[in-house]
Amino acid sequence: MTLIHLTLNGAAIADEVPARLALADFLRERHNLTGTHLGCEHGVCGACTVLVDGEPVRGCLVLAIACDGRTVETIEGFRDDAAMTALRASFHRRHALQCGFCTPAMLIAARDLIRRGKAGSEREIRDGLAGNICRCTGYTNIVAAIAEAAAELGTSHNGA
Amino acid sequence: MAHERSGIGASLPRKEDARHLVGRGEFTADLKAPGMIEAAFVRSPHAHARIRNIAVPPEAKGCVFTAADLPQIRPIRIATQAAGMKSPLWPPLATDKVRYVGEAIAVCLAPTRAEAEDLANAVMVDFEVLPAVVDAAREVRANSARSEIARGPQDGRVLVHEGWSDNLYIERVVEGGDIAAAARAAAITVTREFRMNRQSGLPLEGRAVVAWHDHRLDEIVVHASTQTPHTMRVALAEFLGLEARRIRVVAPDVGGGFGPKARLYPEEIIIAALALHCDRPVRWVEDRGEHLLTAAHTRGHYCRVTAYADRDGRIIGVDAEIVVDAGAYGMWPQGPYSEAAMAARNLPGPYTIPNYRARHYTVATNKGPLGPYRGVGRPSACFAIERIVDEVARAVGRDPVEVRISNMVPPAAMPFTTVAGMHLDNGDYAASVRLCAELLDLPAVRARQSRGEADGRLVGIGFASFAEQTAHGAAEFVSRGAAIIPGYESCTARILTDGSLVLMVGIQSHGQGLETTLSQIAAHELGIDPAHISVRHGDTESTAFGFGTFASRSMVMAGGAVARASRMLRDKLCRIGAHLLQCDVAEVQCADGAVRGPRGEVAIAEIARVAHLRMDGLPPGVEPLLDATATYEPAIGTGVFSYATHGAVVAVDPETGFVELLDFAVAEDCGTMVNPMIVEGQIRGGVVQGIGTALYEEIPYDEQGQPQAGTLADYLVPSAAETPAIKIGHLHTPAVATEYGMKGMGEGGAVAPPAAIANAVRDALAALGAPGRAEVNETPLTPRRVAAAIERAWAGRPRQGRVD
Repeated sequence: MTLIHLTLNGAAIADEVPARLALADFLRERHNLTGTHLGCEHGVCGACTVLVDGEPVRGCLVLAIACDGRTVETIEGFRDDAAMTALRASFHRRHALQCGFCTPAMLIAARDLIRRGKAGSEREIRDGLAGNICRCTGYTNIVAAIAEAAAELGTSHNGA
Repeated sequence: MAHERSGIGASLPRKEDARHLVGRGEFTADLKAPGMIEAAFVRSPHAHARIRNIAVPPEAKGCVFTAADLPQIRPIRIATQAAGMKSPLWPPLATDKVRYVGEAIAVCLAPTRAEAEDLANAVMVDFEVLPAVVDAAREVRANSARSEIARGPQDGRVLVHEGWSDNLYIERVVEGGDIAAAARAAAITVTREFRMNRQSGLPLEGRAVVAWHDHRLDEIVVHASTQTPHTMRVALAEFLGLEARRIRVVAPDVGGGFGPKARLYPEEIIIAALALHCDRPVRWVEDRGEHLLTAAHTRGHYCRVTAYADRDGRIIGVDAEIVVDAGAYGMWPQGPYSEAAMAARNLPGPYTIPNYRARHYTVATNKGPLGPYRGVGRPSACFAIERIVDEVARAVGRDPVEVRISNMVPPAAMPFTTVAGMHLDNGDYAASVRLCAELLDLPAVRARQSRGEADGRLVGIGFASFAEQTAHGAAEFVSRGAAIIPGYESCTARILTDGSLVLMVGIQSHGQGLETTLSQIAAHELGIDPAHISVRHGDTESTAFGFGTFASRSMVMAGGAVARASRMLRDKLCRIGAHLLQCDVAEVQCADGAVRGPRGEVAIAEIARVAHLRMDGLPPGVEPLLDATATYEPAIGTGVFSYATHGAVVAVDPETGFVELLDFAVAEDCGTMVNPMIVEGQIRGGVVQGIGTALYEEIPYDEQGQPQAGTLADYLVPSAAETPAIKIGHLHTPAVATEYGMKGMGEGGAVAPPAAIANAVRDALAALGAPGRAEVNETPLTPRRVAAAIERAWAGRPRQGRVD
């Protein structure tokens, strides 16, 4: 067991973890943050996407001990985040979710696309989402919702 | 009026969304209970083997359970009513033999899933490996004198189940008219073989079970990721030997189902048994490797079709053989028969074909069991008939669009019984072809083809039409020899003391948005805003019996039950309201949250208060409570038929065989739409799953019966990057046999994409000018298969116009 310290959704956390514990299991089992979903556990489906130091990572491929001293954000966070607020609203308006299993990670991936200025066209959004599988929606409405949120957020986020 | 914005026909945003958008959905794997332990399974690495010994390391004693340790578990047994059907017993934990890679042999318990997996890895099983049955078509060849479908030698007799005479679960013939006469009369004869290979349904959430013994209520509580909680209770009662009253099954949020979660699995029985046996909560969460091995596989259809036609391309007969590679066991409750039966009866499609014969064979193999997946037998039937229609068109030199239309059942002939006995109810099928061609701008695609592509790729356009049986009731399932008859759904509608409404429905919703759409129906009937309506589903504790979500049935059946229960409440509201308004019940109306009479109105909230808390205000003879339970079955038990034409535009690289999907359109008619936004979401989701079947998804098996796709790195599913925006156009022909004219539509999106895309690829490759036929009649249309088809078409001759 190794003691790690990290900032989790804005709060300072200390926890003893076994070396092999994945970040996603750490979040789900130790901290009840079950919005981080496990769809494949080998880094393909993207359902476990969270932010580590502001960058999206696969929660199933990153070990909890590798997050020592770092900042982790999950879907349960983002409370005052303008981009996430806009995305949640546009996903609702545009029917961009059905079963909801891919949704938290899809939102985090979408927020990252907008942050990096990579949501300027349908092609760009589609290529940017290649690492997040949705089995329900057929993607059309997800792409539309992201484009809508990106437009609403404007240049202050787009490419900033 | 409130219900115009939120009732039937409104694209009301979903009530379900809020929890998922903040990560507060509750899926089975999210559940924890005090003292919970986790399970992992020891599974067979062999397709077919005798178990000689199971060695448990000393340190794992008491944490590893085999069939011998859990004698209370009974083998899964299917009470099929289909005459002549072989129905093997399936022990949830293997006893003497394993019959597919992934079959469960033992289960291990530990404080964490990782530790449980460590235990599973430490269990040593000694196997006597047996030859495996992997080629379903060869089995048909070996066992049926009548079949012409398979080439190749007969091998030694290996039986999946000892004691059987052969490896056929069942063989049957569907026929109508006189196929021999059609063969004699035909000017054109076209024969093709089609393969829709085995794949997974692959909901993004895998299977999961959490079970515990509730001592206060003396019941076993089983949370499971299932589409069918009520029927799972039926099964658990039977296979655990418990009274149903002692079992509660809950399907919490379910992360996609698509059919594979509409069947009973051994793991569900085993986890429930362990929770009772150990008297501790037990959780099992499937990983993706287990899912690809052991969650129901699908498709696996091989089909040989001969079409007989006249010189105009009018099809006068179809002769088909259908082989379904059904795996080692039938899945409870319906067994393996639905696939072949549905394919055989749907193959004539939306056409007037007068003469037909389909011999169909459901074959046992040493592979994972086959279960339902969006469309069931229909995608392969559609693939076969729609490819054949295109080939007939080519044979007579006509446009496939025109040949398709000329063979379709015209609106004036409706209702129409097809040669395979399907009762098509209404619609204008040809209009869907024209609308789809319009959505894709067919003339513009033809112009682009004649210009050619700068990069040397070949553009093609293809169409596929189908009529989709939905919301089929008792008549259909009886005809299939089904073990249970899911011909109705139920609703208990309860207005509480403050006038808010709870709908408790036996259906289950896992992405279809029924919490929203069923509210819209109640809003339509009662004038209560959906914001004041809760929908409870997926819990046997709070809902009357229902069958769950599958077979494009939920909106018609559960929606019908909600309509009936809401009207029963409305009648009672009016009686109490009229009494409070001191007028005759014939003078009042229930609308916009109130009962209105000639001299005033009384709010539903006030009536609800009286009905529960102030019975002195009730009229004589009217009992307290506002609580009604209704069941609903459609007026036609053979189903109501949605229909659609799908169209695809592709660009094929003639060097690599890579297919890019440029455009895709759906022109469809599902009658009255309760929530058009949700309807379109269902269509688009189905289409992209169909694109997966067409281009990417396959679980191949080698000759030893080893599946070759065990991760999402070798089992490919479509992402946003490979798919275009899906265009949709609607036609509107309300059903006559259902509430409001609704038809089911959940599966249709997945039915036609393989056929439409294969037709588009065929159209593209026609421009090669190769001496042979450049066509691919096998899914998925991988680059390798497309390139091989191009090579075959050149047949070793030098290729002209080759881009080097």
